[in-house]
Amino acid sequence: MRSDISVKSAVKSFGKTVALSRVDFSSAKGMNMILGPNGAGKSTLLRCIDGLYHVDSGSVTVLGENPYKNTRMKDKISLLTDNYALYDFMTVRDNLKFFGRLYGLGGGETISIAKDVLARLDATEYIDRKVAELSRGTKQKVAFCRAVLNDPDILLLDEPTAFLDAHSAEAMRRILLDCEKRGKTILLVTQKLDEVTRFNAKIAIIRKGKMVKETSTEGLYSLVLKKVNVDFRLARPLALKQARRIRGFYRANSDNATLISFRVSNYKDINRILKSLMGFGAIIASVDYVEHLIDDLSA
Amino acid sequence: MDFGKVWAIAIKDLLEVFSSPSIYGPMLGVPLFFAIVLPFLTFYVAQYGAPQLASKIAAVPVALLGQSATGGLIFMSFFAVSVLGPIFLTMPIFTATVIAADSFAGEKERKTSEALLATPVSTGELLLGKVMASFIPAVLLTLMIFLIYGYTVNTLAIQSFHKGVLPTAPWLMMLLTAPFLAVAAIGLVVLVSSHVKGIKEAQQVSTILVLPILVMPFISILGLANLTVSFFSWVIVVLLIADTLILYIGVKTFRKENIL
Repeated sequence: MRSDISVKSAVKSFGKTVALSRVDFSSAKGMNMILGPNGAGKSTLLRCIDGLYHVDSGSVTVLGENPYKNTRMKDKISLLTDNYALYDFMTVRDNLKFFGRLYGLGGGETISIAKDVLARLDATEYIDRKVAELSRGTKQKVAFCRAVLNDPDILLLDEPTAFLDAHSAEAMRRILLDCEKRGKTILLVTQKLDEVTRFNAKIAIIRKGKMVKETSTEGLYSLVLKKVNVDFRLARPLALKQARRIRGFYRANSDNATLISFRVSNYKDINRILKSLMGFGAIIASVDYVEHLIDDLSA
Repeated sequence: MDFGKVWAIAIKDLLEVFSSPSIYGPMLGVPLFFAIVLPFLTFYVAQYGAPQLASKIAAVPVALLGQSATGGLIFMSFFAVSVLGPIFLTMPIFTATVIAADSFAGEKERKTSEALLATPVSTGELLLGKVMASFIPAVLLTLMIFLIYGYTVNTLAIQSFHKGVLPTAPWLMMLLTAPFLAVAAIGLVVLVSSHVKGIKEAQQVSTILVLPILVMPFISILGLANLTVSFFSWVIVVLLIADTLILYIGVKTFRKENIL
């Protein structure tokens, strides 16, 4: 079956800087994520897929078309960049009406769609404010609203929750999940492991302009939770001697422990440890671990 | 081509320029100041200093300077058209350059172009919208300033000499060159848009066009050329060819990522 987004051996350079080096990527239906550190080439890849950049060699096709050459097909794609790209001198309403017009929507239709999206993001009150007066997070909400105005088949998002509070980020994720349910293809680039694990997505890891791995949420956990200390916070203390009997025990905060660390070699160990702890009558309040740096996830 | 989209882009660009007093202030204020102050200067020279000054200007026949009123009127007509007139021809260049630079390089500088280019707008629609946003105000403002200037000159001339001096055919021909100068200025901004990082750099291209314009009063005073109908006809022909070339190369070499 043809992928909605297909990138084959894409190379893109800016002067002597090679941003993408023979990158291959095929999207799955639904949520797709590209994970990588700063400067890995995530945003450049997204811009090539949107047709803003022409690749030096290789090919990019979206819905079977070249997005750089075929401008008209862009009514089926949307891009949310990391810098909002809104017009500061205009109100939110006028910004959205302007972009709506470019997508062939009437003013009333645009505002009707926008009000629904802004309401879900708790930002309706800003519709008649100038963009220059808005906070970074609100600008991001407005830019997201613009990106979904045309109900695109392909949604390209660059760090969409970067500056949002937890509540708004969750609201945005719910909208994305709704898009996924309606058969849209979403490609989200991020440098946050936490963001990636919130979706059941196809995941690609990019580093220094090269795709180093394609994986799934489960596969990513295998990479992240490998030889790592996991902290179990207990609501009811557990005797140290009982904790020591569980395989992987590393340390505890006291003889009657409320915080116990285990060394796990695989994410599946967490389930085993949880069962053992509960078997001893412990009540688990939280499970936490320090994530690997994205740079360490190439292998 | 969807002219609705073209118009939406043009209106957006115009609103952007005219939302900032720091941009439209000097663009309107300076020509307006000159349109009113320069006629008074012309009048002062014509009324009080014309015979002495005019005798030093080769283009004005010395024989005409016998009677002060007639000499003054002729001198005022000569000064208003041949010396001060070309100064107002810088207006379509500056106006078009300021708006075009803000439109093309400004999108790049403010990083707003990504969202614009992500929409289903063709390169042709984008270019035409932005060219219109620069061309229309440049021509309309030039027309307005010419009218204010002409009105002020005539008011002063009628008060003192009981006869207006404008419009003359060369003056109208001068006005007719304004659209061609505006197109040249916009075309040059399109040409350099891929090589500049910001608005100020893009605005520098106006000097290419302004310098020859500012030479006109001197060649006129020195008698090297007369700014006649025939002179401006040739200027229009040359500009038409230059505009065609500049726009052709500009459109051919323009890439959407130029303004990213």
